[in-house]
Amino acid sequence: MLEIRDVEVAYEDLQAIWGVSMEVAAGEIVVLIGPNGAGKTTLMRAIAGLQPPLRGRIVLDGAPIQSLAAHSIVERGVVLVPEGRRLFAGMSVYENLLLGAYTAKARAAQAKSLQRVQEVFPILAERRDQAAGTLSGGEQQMLAIGRALMSLPRLLLLDEPSLGLAPLVVRDIFEVLRQINRDGVTLLLAEQNARMALELAHRAYILEQGKVAGQGTGPEMLASDHVRRAYLGYVTAGEEASEK
Amino acid sequence: MRTAPPWPARAAERFTGPAVLLILIAGALVVPQLTDRRDTITLLFLVFLYIALAQSWNLLAGYAGQINLGHAAFFGVGALVTRDLWTKEDVPFAAAFLAGGGAAVLFALAVGIPTFRLRGIYFAIGTLAMAEALRITVSNLRPQVTALPAQALATYDLEPRYYLALGLAVCTVLVAFILPRTRLSLGILAVREDEEAAEASGVNALAHKLAALVLSSFFAGLAGGTFAFYHVSYYPDRPFFPIWTFDAVLATFIGGVGTLAGPIVGATFFIVVRDRLAVEVQEVHQAIFGLLFILVVLMLPGGLVEAWSRARRLLRRTR
Amino acid sequence: MNLEPIFQNLVYGLFVGGLYGMAAVGLSLVFGVLKVLNVSHGELLMLGGYVSFTLFDAYGVDPFLSIAIAAPLLFLVGLGLHGGLFRWVMRLHEEAKIKNSLLIGFGLALVLENLALRVWTADERAITTGYSGEGVTLAGIVFPYTRMSGLVVAFMAVMLLHLFLTRTYAGRAIRATSEDWEAASLMGINVQRTYVVAFAIGTALAGVAGTLVSLGYTIAPSIGLAWTLKALVVVVLAGLGSIFGAFAAGILLGEAEATSIYVFGASYREVVGLVLFIIVLLLRPQGLFGRRVR
Repeated sequence: MLEIRDVEVAYEDLQAIWGVSMEVAAGEIVVLIGPNGAGKTTLMRAIAGLQPPLRGRIVLDGAPIQSLAAHSIVERGVVLVPEGRRLFAGMSVYENLLLGAYTAKARAAQAKSLQRVQEVFPILAERRDQAAGTLSGGEQQMLAIGRALMSLPRLLLLDEPSLGLAPLVVRDIFEVLRQINRDGVTLLLAEQNARMALELAHRAYILEQGKVAGQGTGPEMLASDHVRRAYLGYVTAGEEASEK
Repeated sequence: MRTAPPWPARAAERFTGPAVLLILIAGALVVPQLTDRRDTITLLFLVFLYIALAQSWNLLAGYAGQINLGHAAFFGVGALVTRDLWTKEDVPFAAAFLAGGGAAVLFALAVGIPTFRLRGIYFAIGTLAMAEALRITVSNLRPQVTALPAQALATYDLEPRYYLALGLAVCTVLVAFILPRTRLSLGILAVREDEEAAEASGVNALAHKLAALVLSSFFAGLAGGTFAFYHVSYYPDRPFFPIWTFDAVLATFIGGVGTLAGPIVGATFFIVVRDRLAVEVQEVHQAIFGLLFILVVLMLPGGLVEAWSRARRLLRRTR
Repeated sequence: MNLEPIFQNLVYGLFVGGLYGMAAVGLSLVFGVLKVLNVSHGELLMLGGYVSFTLFDAYGVDPFLSIAIAAPLLFLVGLGLHGGLFRWVMRLHEEAKIKNSLLIGFGLALVLENLALRVWTADERAITTGYSGEGVTLAGIVFPYTRMSGLVVAFMAVMLLHLFLTRTYAGRAIRATSEDWEAASLMGINVQRTYVVAFAIGTALAGVAGTLVSLGYTIAPSIGLAWTLKALVVVVLAGLGSIFGAFAAGILLGEAEATSIYVFGASYREVVGLVLFIIVLLLRPQGLFGRRVR
């Protein structure tokens, strides 16, 4: 479905991505793990059209999208939930969700999508008229994902969805993601929380210093020594205890 | 706004620039001896006045990166103080002239210290508001025309006005020339590029901005004094009108903001074109300069100076 | 003590304040969405006034009706100005964008003023309709028809704008873009097109304000700067983010000016606004109703 070929991206005058190639097949959950500053966010932004690559191609269903504007990419069904959520804090939950359904296609299905989102995230129905900025971290993440769902994504990109959230909340959200995937949405996740991400993933790539440093299926990565040492060791004893 | 083009590095250019200037100055010195034509001398007077006005504005804008839209206030204060001291208090002109410059500096400091807390566009519109408030106040407090007393009127001679303006223009250009070569300038340039980074490196941004402001306002005030010396009679609020700021801004940008030659080229171009177009109906020069200005901002930030150096490079390549 | 003149003054302050608010709303919209301070706003207002004046003078169109022509016309002008000029600076970094747009607006103001000078000459114009001198008198205080209608029109325009921004998708897109343009583009919103539309709406609003000015005041090519400053003062007073805040701040300014007449005299009316402006800039940059600190 999505093919990234030898892409190079700069971020604020510095090159952040050096010749990355990846693939995401329809229906998969693909995860991108790697340390802070590896370029995960830059890559996600490039796919979403916020940052045109210096070189390389990004191909969606056979058609190149690397030079399209962000709003056109949304129209093709690729939706990004950005790092830090980027909600419209001054607007209500309801308005944020409405804005998610901006494209013509999404607007036609607006009522249905809204109902679905409120089923998946009941708390959003409760807080419908509240200003988005007043929600808790977890609620904001749910709103961000709900908003993205309103855009009728075929490929959902998520940049660090677990950032700043308590482990239990993260678990709930990841469960929702699993469900979304079962409903037919392909997922591409960039995550620092490697353990939970790899448990969710069908396949994963490791991004280090702007290059792909490894790839494999979810279970393969979980078992890999390198991954265990470099990324799974980040899980502290406290987190392990609360997860059990 | 792009960084100003670097001062010419190549040795040949180092000498042609100043050489040309010296020739021009020598020529200017001689003009009143060669001709009696009032309109020529007046035209040149205006050129010199505008060079001083534009160059003084450039000190703050091109050099320190602060767009001051209240420049007319300095011009006006200088004119007001000089005129009053000279015509009403019988102070000898030289002293009144310098006092005008000094008054402009005092005003600038009084107003600049709070205003410099504003950044970028807020500084621009804040200074504009201040200048306008001052203009209206002066307009209310001094509604009567200021006219030269009979004695001064009888002995009115255009030549000293001419030389005063020439001298002022030369001094302003000299200061603009020397300033980048001083230690003070390093700090100012650092503030222009990135104020916060400069502060973090220990540069007292405010002090440096004030230094540029002092120079800018002093010469604008002297320009105002020149205005007061030149005109026989005018309404005291006239030198406070924003048109003086806008003309300085136009001339500087069209010439090339942040460069040494920019205000010189721009002011000359401005006055000469305006004079040539004076036959046309209703100030069409304003529209032309406005369009040129927009063009410069959008496509040629270095102004005529940059256009000139590009043309020269092009010619060199085709040889 | 005779309170009548004081109340009369306050009433006039209300009317002129509504006009100030109207002048500011367009500027506030453009500044909020594009982050660009269009200093030729006053000239656009002036153009709107001239359109109405011409329609009245040549065809006898009532100024309130001519709004229906002036507003769309100025909307088109706004489309052209953005597409031809301001568009080029929108892609720049924030600081460069603000500086360059300030300069472009400045150049544009000169060109527009000169254009008006050539088309309409420097003469001051005003619209005097059949009902211009008349009004309602309540408790000894005069409420002129033109000013009252002007206030009502201004309020209705602001109301319409508010409804547009809160009830329509296009309006929501504008608000989203002004909050976070990248996030807005991730919603599928064409940000460049939103900029154009917002700018055009701002210009149209300036045109409406101009029409109201031509009724109660004079129109001349030189009024641009004064009205730009007036609108600026109100925008800064109000802070960003609130359309009604801009309208309210306009009225506040009108009343402040009206009251100041008793203390400083009529000739310092303009100064009051400018000084207030500077004080607010220095002490409370987010304005009275603004939600974001600069």
